[in-house]
Amino acid sequence: MTFILIFIALLVLFLGAPLFTVVSGVTLYLLFVADIDSSAMIIEMYRMATTPILVAIPLFTFAGYLLSESKAPKRLIGLTDALLGWLPGGLSVIALITCSAFTALTGATGLTIIALGGILLPALQQGRYPEKFSLGLVTNSGTLGVLFPPSLPIIIYAIVSKLQISQLFLAGLLPGMLMLALLLAFSVRMAMVNKIPRTKFNGLQVLKAIREAMWELPLPLVVLGGIYSGYFAVSEAAAITAVYVFLVEVIICRDIRWRDLPQVMRKSMVLVGGILIILGAALGFTNFLIDAEVPMKLFNFVKAYTDSPYLFLILLNLFLLVVGCLMDIFSALIVVVPLIGPVAQAYGINPVHLAVIFIANLQIGALTPPVGMSLFISSLRFERPMSKIISASLPFIAILLFVLAIITYVPWLSLALLK
Amino acid sequence: MDRWERMDEFMSRVEAALLVTFLGLMILVAFSQIVLRNLFFTGLDWGDSLLRNLVLWIGFIGATLATKDGKHINIDVVSRGLSPVGKNLVTGITHLFAFAVCCALTYATLKFIRNEMQMGQKTFLNIPVWIPELILPMTFSLMTFRFGLRFLKNLSKTGQRVFVEGRGKGS
Repeated sequence: MTFILIFIALLVLFLGAPLFTVVSGVTLYLLFVADIDSSAMIIEMYRMATTPILVAIPLFTFAGYLLSESKAPKRLIGLTDALLGWLPGGLSVIALITCSAFTALTGATGLTIIALGGILLPALQQGRYPEKFSLGLVTNSGTLGVLFPPSLPIIIYAIVSKLQISQLFLAGLLPGMLMLALLLAFSVRMAMVNKIPRTKFNGLQVLKAIREAMWELPLPLVVLGGIYSGYFAVSEAAAITAVYVFLVEVIICRDIRWRDLPQVMRKSMVLVGGILIILGAALGFTNFLIDAEVPMKLFNFVKAYTDSPYLFLILLNLFLLVVGCLMDIFSALIVVVPLIGPVAQAYGINPVHLAVIFIANLQIGALTPPVGMSLFISSLRFERPMSKIISASLPFIAILLFVLAIITYVPWLSLALLK
Repeated sequence: MDRWERMDEFMSRVEAALLVTFLGLMILVAFSQIVLRNLFFTGLDWGDSLLRNLVLWIGFIGATLATKDGKHINIDVVSRGLSPVGKNLVTGITHLFAFAVCCALTYATLKFIRNEMQMGQKTFLNIPVWIPELILPMTFSLMTFRFGLRFLKNLSKTGQRVFVEGRGKGS
């Protein structure tokens, strides 16, 4: 009986039923078998939805959507162009830096590809970058930056695994920078090999760009300064970010008209609702699994094959890449972290290090063929066939995988800033 | 069928209006809390629990709207490569499943509310805790309705398509 039900659950899951209904359905069945009242699941759901830190999610998401609908991406590109355009491969450098800053703020929801990619791809092609390289670059930008604060995946990881958000924000910094640095090096080399023409540095241009982006510039300071100094709690930083972005984009720059505001609010909150309901449904499910000691059984099962944490990490990486290419980052975190977390801990892996491994994996997973999420968004947005997008992304995936290996086997990179 | 769809449309407008109001209120309250705390060394003592309830309401209203828009997070590996009829079939199965689960969840939330009424706890401004919690049965019943409606609509569409294709082959 149980096997038939597992089969049904997996079937509807892969047929595309909403993830929350699959998780809820399985949980309700488990509760029914264990003779526990089904309202127990609702208690968990309610408890989850009213966790204090959760206030940060709607606020950051709203701010991210506002930014992506405004002309802020354009100004951001204009500014970095004026500052860095004279470098070899300047435009690709700009693309990587602005995209990761933007993804950190909007949280790997594909918004970066849609909001920034639409401006960057034509610009790259105009700048005579090869099409394949340009496509790969903008596709990869969809999740590059999730290791930087205040990215939504980090917040959700912290909530699910009960770690401190500010610690995870610190832990992601160096690994994120390493990823960025290697991709930058690759892009610069690419530009030099292809003899991409450079632009001249122009002081006036810089001043003009700074003046245009003057209001957005303090934003990272507001977000990061507040959180790292410990002056603001994360949810407070979120409130300030939302108010600040609102003031800048709606009142000062007037990029978003008042009558368009409800639409932006609705769109962003539909995403929040989709995430929260899975979070709520999964909590009941994972509590049940933990009561049934499933992580322990999983550990014993894996332990029978290997004692070595190194081998375990390889297996974990492979597993997470598959998960990351099947599910979006949020649901993958919510469903998988509570299961794997205890197993990794039993192997003696630092929970903060594990968090960075997880998020880096899922970041790459979103790019992994055949079904990574960024690939689809990119294919839809730029109207190019999937096969083209995939082959364009391969060099970027290779670089990211190399960084992943470093992140996995050099815990120092994730933990150095925590001291 | 048309009448139901108009009702669906009307409900979604109401939800969107609530969503906008609640989010606006949330930003306002969260920000005033910070201002009050840092400049006046005080705060609204009901503010934090109001904020938590606003997240609850926003989250669940957002989720019902995600049902309306077909924007729930899912894994759609299989349906991408299917023919239109196959796609309709798959959608039918998943909607029926979602409908059944939401039915059960609505029932569970009703029991949850009954228990909470018996416990009689209070939240911000001395409101009984079950009143803000009413959003749970409300949104889940709405999701049940929406999945049901989508299932029926899809069924009639699939029926038409099969019929038309069948006739096309016959002639």
